[in-house]
Amino acid sequence: MIIGVIGDDVHVVGNRIMQLALEESGFQVFNLGTRNRPSHFRQAALEVNAHAVFVSSLNGEGEYWCADFRRQFADVGLGNIILYVGGNLVVGKRPQEDVVKTFKSYGFDRVYHQQRDIGVAIADLVEDLKHVQATYQRETRGN
Amino acid sequence: MSRPRTNAKLAGIERYRQQVISHPLARGISLDDVRDHLANLPRKRFPRVAYGNRGGIPCVQPRGGVPLFEAQYQLTRQLSEAGADFIPLTIDSYTRQNQYETATQLLRRSEEEGKNYLNGYPLISHGYELTRELYHEIDKPISLRHGTPDARLLVEVAIASGITEIEGGGICYCLPYSEGFPLDRCLLYWQYVDRVCAVNSSEDLPIHRESFGPLTATLVPPAIALAIEIVEALLAAEQGVTSFAVSFGQTGSIIQDIAAGRVLRRLTRHYLDRFGFEAVQSYIVYHQWMGQFPSGREKATAIIVGSSIISSMISADKIVVKTRDEALGVPSAEVNAEAVDTVRYVLRTFGCAEPVTSPLVDCEATLIESEVTSILGAIFDMSGDVFWESVFRAFQMGYLDVPFSPHIDNANKLISMRDRNGSIRISERGNVPISDEDAQLERRLLASRDIELDKSYRQLLTDINVMV
Repeated sequence: MIIGVIGDDVHVVGNRIMQLALEESGFQVFNLGTRNRPSHFRQAALEVNAHAVFVSSLNGEGEYWCADFRRQFADVGLGNIILYVGGNLVVGKRPQEDVVKTFKSYGFDRVYHQQRDIGVAIADLVEDLKHVQATYQRETRGN
Repeated sequence: MSRPRTNAKLAGIERYRQQVISHPLARGISLDDVRDHLANLPRKRFPRVAYGNRGGIPCVQPRGGVPLFEAQYQLTRQLSEAGADFIPLTIDSYTRQNQYETATQLLRRSEEEGKNYLNGYPLISHGYELTRELYHEIDKPISLRHGTPDARLLVEVAIASGITEIEGGGICYCLPYSEGFPLDRCLLYWQYVDRVCAVNSSEDLPIHRESFGPLTATLVPPAIALAIEIVEALLAAEQGVTSFAVSFGQTGSIIQDIAAGRVLRRLTRHYLDRFGFEAVQSYIVYHQWMGQFPSGREKATAIIVGSSIISSMISADKIVVKTRDEALGVPSAEVNAEAVDTVRYVLRTFGCAEPVTSPLVDCEATLIESEVTSILGAIFDMSGDVFWESVFRAFQMGYLDVPFSPHIDNANKLISMRDRNGSIRISERGNVPISDEDAQLERRLLASRDIELDKSYRQLLTDINVMV
């Protein structure tokens, strides 16, 4: 899967922790690090044939950059890819359900606004990727 | 072999300087005028004099920079009256990124609306003539605090303003601050800064340089921080700097702090002497906790008090202080002055005549010294004959690896965690060339701790936010 921080944000601590946490849970992670544009995620997803993309934003720039996120993936034939977003997604205080609604309208499958523990998202990810796991096991058995 | 050399000084500096100061925002700096201005400053404006007069107590330095001249003028006086021994000038982020136009526009807007649109003092926008006015009647060193990868123009303007201490370095102002500024260019630009400090120095009143040892302030093992500090001291010495402070940030472990202070002092001297830089005077600066602060003011004050005592225990030459509002944003002048007063009170009350020691500290110091020696040895033994290039390659090879640096040239292979004393341990060394014995000892010390949490990332988060 692809992870990375969007916008001109250089907050890197959460990004590194995410990578460690995902790897510890058995995911193969391609980490784009900080200061990414939506096209970087799209390009990376194409290159490594990713199952999921997890965007993060700590300084609230996410709202600006993520509008239209799903469509950008659909344009290159990745319309069904799993898209997650998390962090401090907007500037200032806004109700949780507003933020979730906004980002779902951008095409994200799951939205984690100010969720402290990445464990929650990882559990969801394992669930959402069950079919991938099953396919993978079938393939390896066939070999 | 790429050892630091006494004949590695940047050539043609006079012409290079003319090129840099031909920038319109240098406002016609004349090098003769700068020389005269420095020659006429009170002696106490130079760090060497301030350090020489400090007695047994560490000098105290707050941080502080605001956009408006008047406000900076007030802040300077308030900090000085509160007893700061070094006066800070913290620069705004746009100037640090060489975006002088934006800094100037936001300064104008701040002036018009009476609101701060910058997070520091835009020195280049204000210019050196006005900035000199900030420091009339101040007889303490002024310290430039920034985070600028390309600080050539900034430092010219700073020195022209009468600023005698320049913080930073090619590594410490690049790796923690920038995601993509090319590290090799940054090292070259800081050679310029070091050389300019050297040519503006007189024998007894040098322009002083200081490195920024806390780096990312996120679980940086002392061996990494110390190796980088010593490298920056050597790079500056190569350019002729004769007064240099190495520094490190509070680790979160008292034992490790005392050990790190001892090793840093000893090895900085050792390597400067070894490569022919006996004339360089070195100092130790201790930074109060640079990680996440608690938002409760009592707890923040507790950290400030605790770290002040530690600075005494390691006989630091200077302590750089935080405020009780650290978690809340840029502190007011009053809160900042109050922090200076608190720290001075603690230092006076809990002074230590000699560095504290114990068998635990001895063990820790032996380990750190062995690791730093291995890392530096590997850098010196690289092929090639230019020291700064080896430093650059040390990052590409992962010999130097700073945890949680956003920079693309950083290897990110080293993983560190806290042991049961709160000391930072290397759990995965990556390509950092410490010996197998030292790596095993690090892991053994880490294993002595009961890991409380099931997943290591949760442990990491707890270890990072240990003071919150």
